[in-house]
Amino acid sequence: MLTALFEGIGFGLVAAAVIALGAVGLSLQLSVTNYINFAYGDLMALGAYFVYAINGGLHVNFFVAGLLGAIATAIVFVLLNIFVLRPFVRSGARVITLLVVTIGISFIVQNLVILIWGTGAYQYSVQVGNAFHIGPFVFTPGDLIIILISGGLLFGLQAFLQYTKLGKALRATSNNPDLAMSSGINTDLVVNITWAISGFFAAIAGVALAIEENNLRPLEGFNELLIIFSAIILGGIGRQTGALLGALVIGIATSIAAMVLPPAYNAVIAFAILILFLLVRPQGIFAGREVAD
Amino acid sequence: MVYFLLDLAVLGSITAIMLVGLNLQYGVTGLINFTFYTFVAVGAYMTAVTMMGKPAAVYATGPLAEQYILQWSLPWPIALFIGGISAAILGLFVVLVAVRRLRSDYLAIVTVAVGFIVYNVINNAVQLFDGANGLFDIPQIANLATEPYSLYLILVSVILLAVCMWVSHRIYHSPAGRVLRVIREDTIVARTFGKNVQLFQIIVFVISSFMAGISGGLLVFYVGAWSPAAFLPTESFLLIAALIIGGNGNHWGALIGSFVILEGLAELTRLLPNSISASAVGPIRAILIGVGLILFLRFRPQGILPESLLKPYKPRRIPRQAAAVPVPNANVAGNVPNIAGTAAVDPAAEEAQ
Repeated sequence: MLTALFEGIGFGLVAAAVIALGAVGLSLQLSVTNYINFAYGDLMALGAYFVYAINGGLHVNFFVAGLLGAIATAIVFVLLNIFVLRPFVRSGARVITLLVVTIGISFIVQNLVILIWGTGAYQYSVQVGNAFHIGPFVFTPGDLIIILISGGLLFGLQAFLQYTKLGKALRATSNNPDLAMSSGINTDLVVNITWAISGFFAAIAGVALAIEENNLRPLEGFNELLIIFSAIILGGIGRQTGALLGALVIGIATSIAAMVLPPAYNAVIAFAILILFLLVRPQGIFAGREVAD
Repeated sequence: MVYFLLDLAVLGSITAIMLVGLNLQYGVTGLINFTFYTFVAVGAYMTAVTMMGKPAAVYATGPLAEQYILQWSLPWPIALFIGGISAAILGLFVVLVAVRRLRSDYLAIVTVAVGFIVYNVINNAVQLFDGANGLFDIPQIANLATEPYSLYLILVSVILLAVCMWVSHRIYHSPAGRVLRVIREDTIVARTFGKNVQLFQIIVFVISSFMAGISGGLLVFYVGAWSPAAFLPTESFLLIAALIIGGNGNHWGALIGSFVILEGLAELTRLLPNSISASAVGPIRAILIGVGLILFLRFRPQGILPESLLKPYKPRRIPRQAAAVPVPNANVAGNVPNIAGTAAVDPAAEEAQ
């Protein structure tokens, strides 16, 4: 029983690494632009398919393909911001209009992916390797690589936000866009960079998810998005460390629950936790201040 | 052709009921709901299980066994009402979770979450509504031998649509409707005027969930079967797109949206060139709807029938004051306000003509 529990926690750590990648990318963009990108999940899937196409079609090394695919996704994010979302923001559209726009983008991207790659499942041509034991946990080398990459990227992002000039500009814009602009920060550029980072993380999260689940489907991102939302809300919107802790809670909780309940209830568990938290502590676990209306 | 029109009339009316409900939420009050179709589905399931009785002997046991809760055989109007009430109860739960001093976009997430939970639970818990197989063999509401079924159902759905339109009309033009529009534009303003924003939001959400439930019940009368494949997230998105393109905030726009956008587009895709494979038609249609939605939001956010066509304030018949413009060479009596209500006309000017 205890062994099974530790195995569950081990799977949970991998799941949490994937969720954290997605959650940090989505949460960063949300904290800067102040609206949720409902297309994020489908764009995650798009990024994963990019990597699949580059790796399988052009026979490029998997890690290089991952990098190229992530950069391509980042470019897609920036183009979406410039040509679709920014005009709405400039014309003073309400937040709920922007939400509908992003869900429209989600609909378009999802169906584009189905149109190009079909509804069948794909697999990357990488070997995840044989499982081995580390203490009480069971991992495959693929799992470890996911955890390492996720940890490395999150650490890198944190360092970028904390110590570089651009990172500080980004945090300033997130905090108060008007003040940032009047301090001479090019907020348009900052917002574009935010979207690029968000897209980069989305693609990596999509690839990691496809490796974790061992197949790549058009709807994988859309379903994962809901779990990512739970992690973000749990941690408090716009907090990178909060998103990380939220991802850990959701990842481990769903993995342990998956041992008792059928895996189809995974997202249901995540949402049950989410709704419970919304009822008890709507501002998230770690948020100290009131959330704005 | 006749059958096609009958089909269009029934499905169009049922969709219009959904859109009138969604319009009350999104168009009038500004409450976003990404899973409106889940409420339709709950209404459909509850209507079905309260009217279809025990499964037929063929489906009672064996591999085709159909299992579901309640198994009542109530008359259809009561079953329909129960369907509406069930959807309204789910709506009450959702809105109570979401409106507790949260950001407006939390409601969007909570609706997506609830839609996902309901879908997965119904899909996997076979005892509830027969899981992924869904309910089938649901009795039709009229005797097919004596009455053409569709005509009877058209009558029922058109009458219910008219009732929903009337309710929506009365809400829109009432003082409460004005409060709802203020909430849509700015909740802080509404709060400043001492309005209980949450109470208004809860009431609207519950009323329109009830409408969704009713439309689900009607749909189940018409198609005679219901399963999880019938309420994928796509359906809710199509409703939002139809509402925005038809005319957000205007219940006549909702009518246009249901008949023209949803039903018309389904027919139009049959005109696509034959070279496109059948499996590509669905995604292409979805992409076109998505692009159309974004273009409309960008360049004509008011939709085909803008809300401004509704005249919220009827000018009341108050005796008007005479024109305040001093008329030269007029005697004093000419400028006295005319009590009868018509504007005073200078006799001299009249003579000049």
